[in-house]
Amino acid sequence: MDPLLYVLDLIVFIGIFGIVSLSLNLEFGFAGLANFGKVAFFLIGGYTYALLSQTGIPFYFCLIASALVSAIFGLLISLPALRLRADYLAIAILAFGEILRLIVKSEDWLAGGDWGVTVARAISIEGAPHRVDALINIGLVYFCLLIFFVVIQLLANSPYGRAMRAIREDEVAAEVMGKNRTKFKAQALMLGSAMAGVAGALYVQYMYSVLPGMFMPMITFTVWIMVLLGGPGNNWGVLLGAALVQVFERGTNIAKDYIDLPVDPSNLQYILFGALIIFVLLYRPHGLLKESKVRSKAQRLAYNGRRAAKSKGS
Amino acid sequence: MEDALLKVKEVSKHFGGVYAVNSVSLDINHGGICGLVGPNGSGKTTLFNTILGLHKPDQGEIYFQDKSIINLAPHAIYERGLVNAFQIPRLFFSLSVMDNMLVAARGQEGDRLFNSLFLRNRWQKQEKGLIEQALDILELVELEPWAFSPAAELSGGQRKLLEIGRALMAKPRLLLLDEPAAGINPVLAKNIFQKLKALSDSGMALFIVEHRLEILFEFATWVYVMDKGTIAIAGQPQAIIDNPAFYTIYLGEE
Repeated sequence: MDPLLYVLDLIVFIGIFGIVSLSLNLEFGFAGLANFGKVAFFLIGGYTYALLSQTGIPFYFCLIASALVSAIFGLLISLPALRLRADYLAIAILAFGEILRLIVKSEDWLAGGDWGVTVARAISIEGAPHRVDALINIGLVYFCLLIFFVVIQLLANSPYGRAMRAIREDEVAAEVMGKNRTKFKAQALMLGSAMAGVAGALYVQYMYSVLPGMFMPMITFTVWIMVLLGGPGNNWGVLLGAALVQVFERGTNIAKDYIDLPVDPSNLQYILFGALIIFVLLYRPHGLLKESKVRSKAQRLAYNGRRAAKSKGS
Repeated sequence: MEDALLKVKEVSKHFGGVYAVNSVSLDINHGGICGLVGPNGSGKTTLFNTILGLHKPDQGEIYFQDKSIINLAPHAIYERGLVNAFQIPRLFFSLSVMDNMLVAARGQEGDRLFNSLFLRNRWQKQEKGLIEQALDILELVELEPWAFSPAAELSGGQRKLLEIGRALMAKPRLLLLDEPAAGINPVLAKNIFQKLKALSDSGMALFIVEHRLEILFEFATWVYVMDKGTIAIAGQPQAIIDNPAFYTIYLGEE
């Protein structure tokens, strides 16, 4: 295989999973919601895109529709789920993802059941080489990533993001300080789901197909590793985490062809992932990058002003 | 007492078979410092939590500014200006002291998802004013040098001060304080009560649970004494001190 194409492919995957990690960062890193059903919204976005694009609707409409449908599902699940405590919420959403996967797997009429259906690339140029195809996808994926990154970054540094972090720290205290915790959490889940939906849509069009096997629960845990490794509450951190985990995953995939192992190498990969989580939680519980502080413009000014006054005084 | 700020009418709250609060009625007037004292377990904090909306009363009615608040969520009660500072500080520890203060401000424009993204100029202007206000309050509670440090780095007493400062940030109409002087050195405690007195003179009502009676009785205008879930005595501080029943309640025996 063309090594450059391999690198381009890796960059596309980092972008797609970067979007999903950003969405989990919004939910878990800022709002404190333990969403263990990330793959469910990834799946909804993917299937929405696949079904709509078959009708000939332009791809950007399909992308927006994927975001909307996932957001609606995010809202629907938030209604009962947000009354649950964090650990029960995690289990409920985890089950939701598996139920969805089993539904699309057994309902053949929906999207080919277990065999799935093929999906056309969003933008394709007749007869273009694979490298150009990959570059177009990089452009598309990173354009979406950029938009989401800016949105989350703006939110995190606004009073809204501050209220969200307060709810994460102590939801009862935040509630008696005027923050409607149910509203904040539902919005975080909707926004996060919409982002995961877009990522799912980008994923299926890049893979030319959608099938239930692409949405195993392992995806959720992979995204969790990205966030925990990179640093919850830090948008740059989770992107770094997404990149590192992708490189690690690919690297071990390549390595297994050259190293003879007594165990099944694909199982070993999971074992290594598990070890990585334990290692991160033990030695860097805040992830590689620390949580970013709330920095609104006014706060930055006040902070810098004080520092200037202090250095003048001393 | 027709136009009392807060009216509690025959409110009861029980947990299992135990009446933590049993048919309590009281009024808090505009301005002034009202004290609530009583032995441990007499139901003071439960009464506070019921007023805040954290517990729904089993019976009775609570009116704030002549409107019933028993069916409101705590955040809605807060937005009306009924604010609380917890006995054991419940800070947002990974946030900075400044952020803890700013979270508490009422009526923030940037608190909504849409505004935070699209009306940035509006909330940033407001935020500037709020930071000034926060720095003033931090100076009052002697925390100004720590304004931009994480709240987790504060000592126990400083956490308590931040809890009070944070509540003041909301510009409350009625402020419930649960043992504000506990864990704070006597000079600063008295200082804080003097500041609170000044605030009450400018129209803010205070309802304070406090075991340090010598400080409370110096500043309070009215005192309720709770015992076993009910209001046992009410009156001006001097009258309470002169009432022998008070000592029986508070100290058990003479």
